[in-house]
Amino acid sequence: MSNALNDVTVDDVIATVTKLVAAEFGLPEDQIGADVDLSSLEGSDSVKVLRTVAKLERAYDIELEDDQVFGLKTVRDAAQLVVAVLEEQR
Amino acid sequence: MTVPAETKTVEVPWQVLPGYQCFGCSPSNEQGLRLTFTRNGAGIETRLLLGRAFESYPGVVHGGIATTVCDEIMGNLLVLRVGATVFTTTLRTRYLAPLKIGVEYRCVATTDAGPDTPAPLRARAEILGPDGSQHVTAVADYQPATEEQARRRMAISDSDAALVQQAITAHRIEN
Repeated sequence: MSNALNDVTVDDVIATVTKLVAAEFGLPEDQIGADVDLSSLEGSDSVKVLRTVAKLERAYDIELEDDQVFGLKTVRDAAQLVVAVLEEQR
Repeated sequence: MTVPAETKTVEVPWQVLPGYQCFGCSPSNEQGLRLTFTRNGAGIETRLLLGRAFESYPGVVHGGIATTVCDEIMGNLLVLRVGATVFTTTLRTRYLAPLKIGVEYRCVATTDAGPDTPAPLRARAEILGPDGSQHVTAVADYQPATEEQARRRMAISDSDAALVQQAITAHRIEN
């Protein structure tokens, strides 16, 4: 993987996750705060969250475990998990 | 006339073997999936429209079949990309939404791997519904085999193995 991914910060990933959530949920990005509970978003369901996770895995070339994925509540949770997994891979 | 890459049929190398029976891609295996492939950008894609012989719950395609489709397309892409036979070592499937019997889906495979990529070789696949939404995603690692290793692992004669290797080389997909 490129060195660029080794330097990814939580804020970087928050921006990416926000874009992915906005696209998947069909909502404007400014309605998706980093600490908003994803299950409270309009039209939220588990499939949309899983699709977002699948795109996140692809974007960062990582694999997340189900127990990690199903514990995610917010955009920040997802971003922190991605950064933690990337750090483990270094 | 130039045929766009997206519509070009991808020739799988095994078809040079008369009567090959690959469950995934042999046109002569009546119990198989009989998948065919076309180029999709730097990757390849296949279309699947499955009947009840591949059912799990009523009206739902069996999850193992979905994984088989992903493995088949990723494996073929890597063979044609790296120019060698590859064997699956790990494969993880994420099921996002059921695949329905009688509905046409697309499965697209991509990889960054090339002939000089060290093993394991990673590929990704996704099965998309008619509206483009993801139903299944898969990621897998593959181990390339030398011609000699491939011959030892298959029930194949030296001459047929040479034919397959020639076909792999002839149908290589460049990055």
